[in-house]
Amino acid sequence: MQQLGPVDLLGLFDRLAARFERERDALIALDSHVGDSDLGLTMAKGFAAARARVFELSDPSPAQIMQQAGAGLAQAAPSTMGTLMGTGFLRGGKAMAAHEVLDPAGFALFWRGFSDGVAARGKARLGDKTVLDVLDPIACAFESQAQARSDLPAASQAALEAAAQALDDSKSYMAQHGKAAAFREKTCGLQDAGGTVAWILADELHQAVLGAVAEG
Amino acid sequence: MKKFLNRPEDFVDEMLQGIYRAHPQVTYADNDPRCFVTAHPVPGKVGIVSGGGSGHLPTFLGFVGENMLDGCGVGGVFQSPSAEQIATVTRYVDQGAGVLYLYGNYTGDVMNFDMAAELLELEDIQTRTVLGNDDVASAPPQEAHKRRGVAGLFFTYKAAGAAAAAMKPLSEVARIAEKTSARTKTMGVALSACTVPELGKPGFSIGADEMEIGMGIHGEPGIIRQKLAPADAVVDDMLSRILAEADYAPGDQVAVLMNGLGATPLEELYILFRRVAYILDLNGVIIRHAWLGEFATAMEMAGFSVSLLHLDEELAPLIAAQANTPFFQYLPQ
Repeated sequence: MQQLGPVDLLGLFDRLAARFERERDALIALDSHVGDSDLGLTMAKGFAAARARVFELSDPSPAQIMQQAGAGLAQAAPSTMGTLMGTGFLRGGKAMAAHEVLDPAGFALFWRGFSDGVAARGKARLGDKTVLDVLDPIACAFESQAQARSDLPAASQAALEAAAQALDDSKSYMAQHGKAAAFREKTCGLQDAGGTVAWILADELHQAVLGAVAEG
Repeated sequence: MKKFLNRPEDFVDEMLQGIYRAHPQVTYADNDPRCFVTAHPVPGKVGIVSGGGSGHLPTFLGFVGENMLDGCGVGGVFQSPSAEQIATVTRYVDQGAGVLYLYGNYTGDVMNFDMAAELLELEDIQTRTVLGNDDVASAPPQEAHKRRGVAGLFFTYKAAGAAAAAMKPLSEVARIAEKTSARTKTMGVALSACTVPELGKPGFSIGADEMEIGMGIHGEPGIIRQKLAPADAVVDDMLSRILAEADYAPGDQVAVLMNGLGATPLEELYILFRRVAYILDLNGVIIRHAWLGEFATAMEMAGFSVSLLHLDEELAPLIAAQANTPFFQYLPQ
């Protein structure tokens, strides 16, 4: 299995919408320690809108699906995290458009565009305890898997492992941005809510890849 | 908190209801009162859109009208409008010639305007961005790109608005906006704090006999807090910082903006302006325009800012052009 086609990709947005609906309260709880508790609501609303938007497209390319999902997210969820995730999908889609297919190399381009787009828009750097601390390792994992010519399930598995490790590592960081920055020391040891969202993206992507393999 | 309010959470929307009743030349797009637009878009003209948090009237929305802005995204008090609201304003304002985004350099606003521009790229609507960063006190000259936008943004609205009204293309309107912004410098001083209605009390305080030079229009810390000095001494300090930013030669011309921050009477602004004029005279700098009043406030903060726009042959006629908006009307003299 070397790539996710448009139909598989629509399935991924089905999964993401359902997952963020299920995780709503858990994300609210994570965010309430140091943020304003709206992350769970924002993501549930945002991914529901992204799903609705991509299912309206006729005969879309993978890049169009990703970009329209980004536009849907940004419009439905006008919070910082909604805007950052919207930016990620928009920039990721743009970055892989010329490559055309979502094989490991396509995903490497997608996640690098996603991660760099979020960094630019959010003016964040690695180690600031933001979603970027998990996005960048996902992009790096796909890049090295693509270079090693791994198949897609192995690549998405490696990306998920990298995301889980990065999320765990970031617990020891201190928040530098947004409302969480006011709590700096208090954020040490806590799992970052934004990073958790990125880990969920990697998790659902891997599950979607495994699902596509099972269907053959 | 002592304010005329109904419910604090209705502050922005009830303010807008009043504005729309008082000023029929403005309206809103897509059934969202926070998507503030001119009722009379000009076909084929470059649109100019600004936006930012509420709490600064007349900035930002007060300058939507003839020959200045065409639309404005209205945020909550001291909060950015959303990317979607900015995009909605832009779609309404775009007359096929593209749209200039012209707003103050604040992180939240930059993020949402950039996001809007990226969404509209998918719809083939062309935008350009120029940031107001006239606040001299907010960063040193070598980091001028980090400076915040304050009252001096008014001059950039005026010049870019006149350029767009002359049917110049987007690239030209943007170039003129950039030039005006670069030649506009502002210094502010605060005497008292301000209260965001939904918070109910000021986020900081300034002692009864103190002033803070360089404080921002959301209460951002300034350069120095010191004992209140006589008006002339305050102006001397502020103007020396502004004049140090540019090479003024005798005979050069300026436009002056004396802006009250919300609770300072016009009388005091004229006392302060008297000294501004005296110092400019000493330097041989000619005052082409002097506008005094409230242009960019910080709720009920007491204090003022002074902005100088260093005019040249290109900018002078644009600043002297006619304008007609709810909060600013000007007929060439």
